[in-house]
Amino acid sequence: MNQTALAARMHDQRPVLISLAAVVGALVIGLVLVAAIGVSIPDAVAGFAEGAWGSPYALAASINRSLVFALVGLGFVLADRANLTNVGGEGQIAVGAIAATAVCLHGGVAGLPAGMSFVLPMLAACVVGGIWGGIVGVLKVKVGTNEVISSLMLSFIGVWLLYGSVQSEALLRQPMTSSSTLPESLEIPDPTKLPLLTGDAGMPLHIGLPIALVLAVLVAVVLHRTVFGLRLRAVGLNALAARKAGIAIAPSVIGVFFAAGALGGLAGSMMLQGEQYSLKAGFSSGYGFDGLVVGLLARGSVVGVLAGAVLFGFIRSGGINMEMVANVPSCLVLVIQGIIIVALAGSARWMTRKAGAR
Amino acid sequence: MSDTANGAMVAVFAGSTLRLAVPLILGATGELVSERAGVLNMSVEGMMLTGAFAGAVGAIATGSPALGLLIGIVAVLPVALLQAFLSITLRANQVVTGIGINILVLGATTLAYREIFGGRSREQVPGFDKWHPPLLSDIPLFGDALFTQVWLAYLALALMVLVAWTLRNTALGLAVHSAGSEPKAVDKSGLSVTTVRYGAVLFTGVLSAIGGCFLSIGDIHTFTEGMTSGAGYLAIAAVIFGNWKVGRMFLACLLFGAATALQFQLPALGIEVPNALLIMLPYLMALLAVGGLVGRQSAPAYLTQPYVR
Repeated sequence: MNQTALAARMHDQRPVLISLAAVVGALVIGLVLVAAIGVSIPDAVAGFAEGAWGSPYALAASINRSLVFALVGLGFVLADRANLTNVGGEGQIAVGAIAATAVCLHGGVAGLPAGMSFVLPMLAACVVGGIWGGIVGVLKVKVGTNEVISSLMLSFIGVWLLYGSVQSEALLRQPMTSSSTLPESLEIPDPTKLPLLTGDAGMPLHIGLPIALVLAVLVAVVLHRTVFGLRLRAVGLNALAARKAGIAIAPSVIGVFFAAGALGGLAGSMMLQGEQYSLKAGFSSGYGFDGLVVGLLARGSVVGVLAGAVLFGFIRSGGINMEMVANVPSCLVLVIQGIIIVALAGSARWMTRKAGAR
Repeated sequence: MSDTANGAMVAVFAGSTLRLAVPLILGATGELVSERAGVLNMSVEGMMLTGAFAGAVGAIATGSPALGLLIGIVAVLPVALLQAFLSITLRANQVVTGIGINILVLGATTLAYREIFGGRSREQVPGFDKWHPPLLSDIPLFGDALFTQVWLAYLALALMVLVAWTLRNTALGLAVHSAGSEPKAVDKSGLSVTTVRYGAVLFTGVLSAIGGCFLSIGDIHTFTEGMTSGAGYLAIAAVIFGNWKVGRMFLACLLFGAATALQFQLPALGIEVPNALLIMLPYLMALLAVGGLVGRQSAPAYLTQPYVR
């Protein structure tokens, strides 16, 4: 390989290298902070590794977490192709989870045959999440509302809807048997929980993993191999030219937001049916925003979404364990995450310039 | 209940509405300037939290709430500069930089507070006393309950009026407005869009920090982890609901303040309204506003668009 080819290759790898540098840099700063607060670095690292991938259980929990980030991230990438920014993941997760909970707890669903008892809630979550996302598209098309603002507001509304729905017995709150009954839903029946891949509770990887992978492939195909993907791209590059070329903008915009919302809703149902099993206030704790960041940092690449999702899944899980075993406040993870986001957002320019030169 | 008792209750409600609206007014006034200049500054939340934290720590360290306020304002400058550098100079996605900064600040202030004060302590902060404005607070029935506020509340109102006047009547106001609606024209006139936008973001930082300080050293005299709890996002919602105009933004802040005050007052009256509904209301109102259901919205044309010469 001659020198120019090597240089070009290095150039091609620039986004990956920059991302790696940001992650490593943030982790180093994290270690410095660990030392600064007087915790031994090996203890902290051991705690992190144990929580992130130290046991089959931890590994599965991290990956299950990653699935949520991946689905929201995929939705972001889809809309991003049309140059639309979907900030609504957090709300789509919330309404998806509400829908899934309602269906799971609905009498009769648990008794459905052939796996329908866990599929039906997921479908409901997709539809409701899709509608929630679709509102953003409709507003964009009909009124010209900035999608960042509307999807952000819908996120907050969704989060508080979830909060409200577990506060009232008329909605999803479990029956009050005493004054100490927590404001959360009943646990969903066993048949509505997502089946585990291994059948072993020590390795609780659930069926969400293959579903998410299939959807990732599907999104990649839609983006690169279908007319719909091409239309999105045309709308994103120049909406006016796209319209002149006879592309109906409205269905594309509404459709892509519906799809993104459906992915977010599905993520919410997976969190419920695969991990938490009951709906409660603070159900998501910012997963939707993490997913948005994953989607953004992926720069339109589906593989990038998966990589980012795994990274954030590990960081979240490791951080929680680090607090428990090594007494490192888990807010340190927020610092690390914040630095990664800021560094990658700031360096986006150098990554896109490369793409533009192509 | 007698008329006097009813009157007193209304007065207390009005007083706490204003008190709860003050941080929103400060944050929203700052955010309005940023957005009018074309920067959707999502980091208001982080800026307020920085102000609340540094103000509290400064007040404890120096024993003076005034010095605390000053320290709070100085401490926000690097945060605001970071937001400006990322979103203006590096042309990074404004929403994502804002979210990143908010996460970073939440983590850093929580970590630092725990390191300085240990555990989950609620260290008492030397704070500002309430000010009894002469005449106003002497008005019978409601004067004292409504107008006796920390002086920062009056500063907030004054700053808001000043900003409204500046935006409407001065060359500076025109420059800010044009940076968000017609940046090319600003450039051609010889002004730098970059400078105007940097200034706007720094201004947002300073006002947000004062808003944060109002929470920690003005209102409750202590710092708690993540104590802004979404006030920055509410400020953004207020700007949107206010259609990027000061008057309606102020109204929105008062409405949002009233919604929060109701959460405390309604249970006292024995009225059960779901809390979530009241908390959700501001966001729902903002959504309806941008959805075109409350008059025509006119966002700055170049909001969220980095300027490329």
